[in-house]
Amino acid sequence: MADNHDETQHIGIPGYLAVFAVLVVGTIGTYLIATIDLDDILFHGANTLVALVIAFTKMACVMLFFMHVRWSPRLIWLAAVAAFFWLAIMFSFTMQDYFTRAAGVFSF
Amino acid sequence: MKQQEESVSIGMWLFLAQEIMFFGGLFTSYLVFRWRFPMAFAAGSNHLDAFLGGANTLVLIVSSLTMALTVYYARLGNRNMQVILILLTMFFGSIFLGIKGIEYTEKYNDGIVPVAGLNRKVKAPAESEHAPAAEKPCWEVTHGEEHEYINPRGEFQWADCSLAKMAQDKGFLTESERNGYLNSAGQIDANKFRDKVSIFFWLYFAMTGLHALHMIVGLGLMLWLLYKAFRGTFGPDYYMPVEMSGLYWHFVDIVWIFLFPLLYLLGRHFLH
Repeated sequence: MADNHDETQHIGIPGYLAVFAVLVVGTIGTYLIATIDLDDILFHGANTLVALVIAFTKMACVMLFFMHVRWSPRLIWLAAVAAFFWLAIMFSFTMQDYFTRAAGVFSF
Repeated sequence: MKQQEESVSIGMWLFLAQEIMFFGGLFTSYLVFRWRFPMAFAAGSNHLDAFLGGANTLVLIVSSLTMALTVYYARLGNRNMQVILILLTMFFGSIFLGIKGIEYTEKYNDGIVPVAGLNRKVKAPAESEHAPAAEKPCWEVTHGEEHEYINPRGEFQWADCSLAKMAQDKGFLTESERNGYLNSAGQIDANKFRDKVSIFFWLYFAMTGLHALHMIVGLGLMLWLLYKAFRGTFGPDYYMPVEMSGLYWHFVDIVWIFLFPLLYLLGRHFLH
């Protein structure tokens, strides 16, 4: 759009390169941290938690800057957040079933 | 114009929301089965090549950058840069699929495709029928050990249950794992454990396969964009097709950002 042309270029090439650098560091960091046994250092399952925190950070960078959600109308924010909300419902309702099953016919 | 652009965007975002549901079903089954059989998942994951998986992550991130820059230059109406960047995006997308193909071939050769008949078939040599190989318990089969590959029917092969043994010795096998791995004598049953590892590989192929399918669709989309960009279609007043294809491409990248740690790295910390 001609009237908001400056704004639509968002963060420009240096900004895109900065986001790219964050993503590369995140990827290499995920790999390196995965080779360290955090079970003994922190708590059991810490490796998976750290990997997921990095993955969510990377996803946030891609969505906010590469996919321009940062500058999008509220309706887009709603669509993006709603998707994860439904996903959370699917995860939690499925797992509340499995967590509460006693060992028996339907457990395995 | 502004309103048109917004309605195009919201349509694309709703499509992506249902794509998240599409992959979400697979992520849910991953969650359920990994919660049930964590050591089988870790054992299966450690067999994957984390270097190739990591390289693929980087390749996809570079392609996401070139895609974001394509949108940037489409808005400026710079035709040459658009064409170059779309070609680069397609190049990196193809590299990704090539590496994926190498990985799938390795799985085929190692006999860990979880569908009987879809693995490399090797007939047993005749003399081995008379002299059966010394049977040793599955937890003494160390990872990567050279052993003869005999698989006459192309079935799923898995010999190594040392991770489960380690967990059993340290006493952190869960109840569902004890039911799933152990025989009535309380020993790890190689066949039962193999079946649980095959669940991991089933999910691995379903998730990466669906992702690769999305990559192929994305490459088709890029081909169409390339044609339009080459003809100079896009400029400051009309760039939504580029922006929307970009959203799709970034979405596929995001899926891989999660698949990489969840499939390749989950048991890596046991190997040292």
